[in-house]
Amino acid sequence: MTQDDASLTSDTPHSKPEQGPRRRDVLATVTVGMGCAGACALAYPFLDSLNGTRSNRVGESDILDVDLSLLKPGQQSVVTWRGWPVFVQKRTPEMLKKLQDPALLQKLRDPESRIPQQPKDAANWHRSITPDIGVMIGICTHLGCVPTFDAPTQAEPSGKYLCPCHGSQFDSAGRAFKDAPAPYNLPVPPVTMISDKHLRIGESKGDPDFDIANIRQI
Amino acid sequence: MTERPQSVSTWLNTRLPILSAFRREYVEFSMPRNLNYLWNFGAFAVVSLTLLILSGIFLALNYTPTLADAFSSVETIDRQVASGWLIRSVHMGGVSMLFAALYVHIARSLYYGSYKAPRELVWLTGLGLLLLVMITAFAGYVLPWGQMSYWGATVVVNAVNTVPLVGKPLASWLLGGEGLGNVALHRLFVLHFVTAFSIIGVIVLHVATLHVTGSNNPTGKDLTEPDQTVPFHPYYTTKDGLGLCLFLLVYAALIFFAPDFLTLSDNYVQANPLITPSDITPEWYFAPFYAILRAVPSKLGGLILATGSIVILFALPWLDSSTIRSARFRPWLRVALPLLFLAFLALGLAGMSPPSPFWLWISRAAVAYWYVYFLGLLPMIARREQASRRKEHF
Amino acid sequence: MRRLFIASMLAFPAFAAHASTPEQRGLEVFRQVCSSCHSLNHVTYADLGELGLSVSDIKAYAAQHEIPDGLDDDGDPKTRPAHPSDVIGSPYLTAGMARMANHGGLPPDFSRLAMTQKGGIRRIIDILVSYTSPPEGKKLPPGSYYNTAMPHLHIAMPPPLHDGQIKYTDGTNPTVPQMAHDVGAFLSWAGHPHLHTRHRTGLFVLSYLAILSGFLFVLKRRVWAKQTKKLP
Repeated sequence: MTQDDASLTSDTPHSKPEQGPRRRDVLATVTVGMGCAGACALAYPFLDSLNGTRSNRVGESDILDVDLSLLKPGQQSVVTWRGWPVFVQKRTPEMLKKLQDPALLQKLRDPESRIPQQPKDAANWHRSITPDIGVMIGICTHLGCVPTFDAPTQAEPSGKYLCPCHGSQFDSAGRAFKDAPAPYNLPVPPVTMISDKHLRIGESKGDPDFDIANIRQI
Repeated sequence: MTERPQSVSTWLNTRLPILSAFRREYVEFSMPRNLNYLWNFGAFAVVSLTLLILSGIFLALNYTPTLADAFSSVETIDRQVASGWLIRSVHMGGVSMLFAALYVHIARSLYYGSYKAPRELVWLTGLGLLLLVMITAFAGYVLPWGQMSYWGATVVVNAVNTVPLVGKPLASWLLGGEGLGNVALHRLFVLHFVTAFSIIGVIVLHVATLHVTGSNNPTGKDLTEPDQTVPFHPYYTTKDGLGLCLFLLVYAALIFFAPDFLTLSDNYVQANPLITPSDITPEWYFAPFYAILRAVPSKLGGLILATGSIVILFALPWLDSSTIRSARFRPWLRVALPLLFLAFLALGLAGMSPPSPFWLWISRAAVAYWYVYFLGLLPMIARREQASRRKEHF
Repeated sequence: MRRLFIASMLAFPAFAAHASTPEQRGLEVFRQVCSSCHSLNHVTYADLGELGLSVSDIKAYAAQHEIPDGLDDDGDPKTRPAHPSDVIGSPYLTAGMARMANHGGLPPDFSRLAMTQKGGIRRIIDILVSYTSPPEGKKLPPGSYYNTAMPHLHIAMPPPLHDGQIKYTDGTNPTVPQMAHDVGAFLSWAGHPHLHTRHRTGLFVLSYLAILSGFLFVLKRRVWAKQTKKLP
């Protein structure tokens, strides 16, 4: 028998883990707490990485110039801005008249555009910087589908938007109807007219501090 | 027992007894009292593997397995992805820490005879883990598509090709019938993931077999007396915790202050099939096997000896017939085994040095000793020990 | 005395505005000299924010460069000004054009040069300051230049730096060694992304682990205190 064995069979049997003095409990609690805090801190870089390369796009300008010369009254064209479909429409006098019709305004959730879904210079009855040109982001405020444009016809000269997903309705200025699920008007991007025939999306002369990220919902 | 409401833990435990199982295996589990700090390295390996898998998942979210984008997507992770540099460093450093922990873990097993009956299955599942980790590490190393990735993969694929009968189809299945291209890179990406997660499964087997027999200890003797054992908690939770903290300290020092210490800078040059880097060496953890490959003047022979050096370990429980486990009580082994560790270190150094006659002969001597030890020395020592034991008993 | 103090306070911001780090000066050298041949294929304009460049400076720098932007409606290649999130990239559209412009040689990419160049930054600086006129009778291979830092005493890169070649915005005297060291600092930054953050985070993590180790050490001693017998 070796010395190793002898020391193992000496006579102090170990009992249950001792109910140590209070000091040990405090120490154990602090140590475990510190370990947990470290584990939580470790989660930070992993979650942070889910933000991807977003910080790299700080100050990136999103300027899109649109040529209006080919657009006829009553028509709309769709352009892409920041990956979103943007409706650019030229309105007919009938459409403009309809936008101010009190019978219509009663059916709308936010006829005066009080909720910040647009730059300040578009918070008016036609929701744009010039009445005859309408610009709005074509993403339904209900669940994000792209509404289809019901172009004005002889029978229905006002024109409106219908969302194919859940039947939300918007008038031709993108204002949501009360009896449909979409809660807010369609968002309006910052727009500036740079000539009679050209407009610039991404810059707002009337509301230079406007940031599309700060609107209520997109 | 009256209307006292059942606690949530009782409710859960009567339906799925995981709480009592955890209590049995990790709280009250009886451990030898005399384990030294070498018994921490299994826990180190588990923790580095956990960090590897975690960081790997987040890296994969930003990685693109195509020839055109692999290299630049890794550069994007290192430069532009938020905290990407840290996650990649955790992953790169983690491989080295995992291999280091595994090699020490295996060496401890060899020294204290943890591979012997009744723990043969612990040993075999452990070796299975080693092989899986090696395959995963190889596949993962190809993914950044740097020069070392490309040429390392080329060499390995050509080595696989030389294996008679199975080599060619195996290489073809891996590469999708083409050279090292888009298809191969995508498959290695998938292989990297599949093997990484299968490692978790094998660890469960490894630990399950260990918990059937209980841990070995430095004396190699079965300790069953109550005063020879302590419960896992709080004794080994604190001891493992302390060791683990020191292990993480080294890990952190590596990734924060010496991130380039263990990596080969050539892998920051995008793969170029027209130029082989002038000094091509593997990562340190593959260096011993690479040295064997270089030491043998035959293509197939080198491959056989390099893989054989690990395969032979599978037979170890039966090559060593001695009933004494710990080298503490095996004077001959106390000389022969450190020499084996020395041979492994020498092979590692040889594998990382540029080829020279000096290192060639060092590595040849080391390979020879490796095989002599397992096939000649160890069985012989074991027989002598058994013979003298019998004499004592009569 | 007090007026002097006020005067120095007023002068200080002006001084601070002009002071620049070696990395920032190195960027100036890169922009005015190196970037006419060498690429930075993995560093974006926005990354330069880490050197202390303002967003508007970065935007202005990026906007100077036109980068390919697919095809227009007629099928012709079209370009757009670079965004801050674009990589600084190469002055040449293709590797073939780069070779054509440089006597068949490909100027190495700068993104990781500090790491991949044997000898690192010191070697790069060494090469930059070691151009001299060749001794009498020394024959150089065509298209190469005498450089005492090279093992064969010649290099394919024409001497890139000359005294007074650029004008530093902070008024530093643009000598060849000055520019070489500044470029070295810039390349070092590009080759080891986030090194500063790495060290700072590392110090924090190491001290946390050291303190936790201390706690665990005491805790472990207490737990094991009952087991007083000598361990075999």
